Amino acid sequence: MTDAQLLILLSTLSTGLILGAIFSLVAAGVTIVYGCVWLPNASNGQFFLLASLVAWTFTASLGWSSWLAAIAVIVLGIGLSYLLEWILIRRLYDTPNRNVAYFVVTLGMTQIMTGIFSLTYAKWSDQFSLPPVVDGISMLGPFPLSNNRLLVMVVSLFVLVALFALLRYHPYGRALRAVFQNREAAALRGVDVRSIYRLSFVLGSTIIFLGGILFALAYSFDLTVAWTMSITAFAIMIIGGPGSVIGALVVGMTFGFTQAIVSIFASPTAATFSYLGAMLVILLFRPSGLFKR
Amino acid sequence: MKLHSKTILGLFVLMALMLPLAASGNKFFAFVLGMTFISLLWATGMNLMYGYVGLMPLMFAGVAGVAGYAMVHFTRTLGWSFWLAMPVASLLAAAVGVALGLPSLRLKGFYFTLCSLVIQTVLTLAFIFFPTYTNGDTGINQVAPPDWFGGELTGLGMDMMLAVVAVAGVLFCAWLVKTPLGQRFVAIREDDVLAEGLGIQVVRCKIIAFFIVSLYAGIGGCFYAAYVGFISPRAYDVLVSMNIWLFVAFGGRATIAGPIIGTAILAPIPFLLQDLQAFKDILSGVLIIVVTLMMPGGIYGAYVAWRSRQAHVASDGDKVQEQRV
Amino acid sequence: MKLLDVNGLSKSFGGVAALRQVEGHSVVGETLGMIGPNGSGKTTFVNIVSGHVRPDMGSLTFDGIDIAGKNPHQLAAIGLCRTYQAVRVFSSLSTQQNIDNARLLLSHRGLDQAELSELLDWLKLDHVLGKSAGSLTLFEQRRLELLMRLVLKPKLIMLDEPVGGLAVTEVIEMIQLLKQLKARCSIFVIEHTMRVIKELADRVMVLIAGEKVADGPPLDILKNKRVVDEYLGAQHA
Repeated sequence: MTDAQLLILLSTLSTGLILGAIFSLVAAGVTIVYGCVWLPNASNGQFFLLASLVAWTFTASLGWSSWLAAIAVIVLGIGLSYLLEWILIRRLYDTPNRNVAYFVVTLGMTQIMTGIFSLTYAKWSDQFSLPPVVDGISMLGPFPLSNNRLLVMVVSLFVLVALFALLRYHPYGRALRAVFQNREAAALRGVDVRSIYRLSFVLGSTIIFLGGILFALAYSFDLTVAWTMSITAFAIMIIGGPGSVIGALVVGMTFGFTQAIVSIFASPTAATFSYLGAMLVILLFRPSGLFKR
Repeated sequence: MKLHSKTILGLFVLMALMLPLAASGNKFFAFVLGMTFISLLWATGMNLMYGYVGLMPLMFAGVAGVAGYAMVHFTRTLGWSFWLAMPVASLLAAAVGVALGLPSLRLKGFYFTLCSLVIQTVLTLAFIFFPTYTNGDTGINQVAPPDWFGGELTGLGMDMMLAVVAVAGVLFCAWLVKTPLGQRFVAIREDDVLAEGLGIQVVRCKIIAFFIVSLYAGIGGCFYAAYVGFISPRAYDVLVSMNIWLFVAFGGRATIAGPIIGTAILAPIPFLLQDLQAFKDILSGVLIIVVTLMMPGGIYGAYVAWRSRQAHVASDGDKVQEQRV
Repeated sequence: MKLLDVNGLSKSFGGVAALRQVEGHSVVGETLGMIGPNGSGKTTFVNIVSGHVRPDMGSLTFDGIDIAGKNPHQLAAIGLCRTYQAVRVFSSLSTQQNIDNARLLLSHRGLDQAELSELLDWLKLDHVLGKSAGSLTLFEQRRLELLMRLVLKPKLIMLDEPVGGLAVTEVIEMIQLLKQLKARCSIFVIEHTMRVIKELADRVMVLIAGEKVADGPPLDILKNKRVVDEYLGAQHA
């Protein structure tokens, strides 16, 4: 293998890993909230973008380091999630068939946020980026990988593993999965279902915010990432199986590598359109997705 | 229908046909009125699917677009009269609507909505990326008004025609929902498994519903093109579908009056707000959330509930219960 | 004259066999019963016969017509219908509208007003026509279910746990109603206790772990050693 080929391979691998991890994170966030609360969050891309944009505001306007901005956004994000849950989300907990209502509500939220973004950030810049957290470059053979991107890759994978561990081993995680499976049974076992709903919404949303920051740290972005991320996350959730975190992981990583490979030949939006097609196929032929919850 | 409702419907028809005369002095108001009539036709069709069958077809605007673009193609390239192109294009759109809806018939609730959203996205992409027929994102301008006895149908005459078409759409829907087919739609909405167990052919009824609703979308799409004179993928995208849905949900779904009320109040607003697209989006989004969380029955539903509380009797079975999402 | 005829019926879900080579039949005018513990395959059996689930193997005929793979609406059209374990009515619609929906199948070939009034009177539902079906008591809803099925002029009604959720006095009343129902239509009652079945059924099929282990009059079933040991012994039938 020539150096040039090795370069392309390693570049594709690293992009695939980073994108795959971020996709998986966001999709996991969406699927957790859907599986637990029956809330399909159509505005997940807007949440994703919101985190990136606010982090940019902190670094560009207030001159904060990316570290500080990231932490601030996460804290604010948690607060926002609680607020949303309190004002909007909890109103439908007792409604049967609430998934359509929630879907429509989140479509409304998408429109509101799109409008706000076009009145604000759209006027301030076309492209946004965050200053790197760490400087320098590491060499993987012939392939130069910025330490910043390496950090993002490591952190993303770490969060994914931590999320998985949380769901599998921690009591909160187990309670969450109990509600996933059968909320009446969980309630009978003494689980406070409503607070689990709240927890899962906050957890899911925070993961999405985190995904947004990590993405912004690794790449520069513009406002269109919102809808591409929404489509991608939904496609991953539907194909992987709604409510299945494993599905989100496997399909998310697959999509990440698909994107990385497609980007060599064509624009990334071509990949996004293929996700649409794949989602449609699954919806029509195997709506329960590839993995069980 | 109670005599009471027939009177109200009659009053509506009279008013609708007189409004174009009232607005004919002012071009701007006449245009808003014309657009409102087209929106009313669309909202009635959307209500049939969403209110009566219980499915939310977000690809509605895309189907309207298929008819719109086809109509323009037929009149421009093939030289057809609008009055031949419009029915043919609408039937074509209806066929497309059924074909696209067919595979998603087994899906329910949010899955159906999501699928229809994806189909709408695919249609919009098709409008953008097949420029030979659609001129892509640039759109097609100078679409001619309908031909009319040697001349063109514009101004007061066109507004009257739009009023007639909208009224016809409302009256047809009012009649349809009282027929056995309309009853079957409601049964399917309420519990399609039970409906099937009672001998109702659920799949067949859904296909018929898709066809009729797509006709509403298509006819509206043709008139839209001929009235505005300019079409582009934007005119038939997902935001349009959501808006029409909002007219229905806000006004009161599963009622005849609901779409009329919702359209009458909401349709003129974007024209009064003019260029502030972002504000329209925000307002739209807020209304969507408010309607879904706080007014599932819309304005008319809230009115019915208020009246029944006043009378201290349970709402009679004629109007469907509203506190349902 | 066989009405329902089932042979070699088998069904597995994900490798687990729910039904194994089940055979049985019902005769016109006879009341067939089926009992079995939870997980015995009763629900699967009912779901297959009522067209909600396709069998893997086996033959299924009704009134001489092959019904394997037919949809519920096709079955309703040839006279086979069912009620559900958890009562199922159009809750948001009025009782009258519920009945009207059931009349859609036969429309003008269905019951005339006199026959309908008689049913309403017998099932004591004539005074709740205007109320929403969701606001009726459970017993009233169960009776409404029966009425809606009778409107279909069926040849066989499958009753899936028809006394589920009813109070003790209501159960007694319901059994009386079902006894009267036998004169109007053949019925197939599925229950998990003998309490109801022994009063109604002429013959009972017992399913345990997906297999039919007994078939005969209720008194014989109650004396069947295997049935008593594996199933009834744990209950006061």
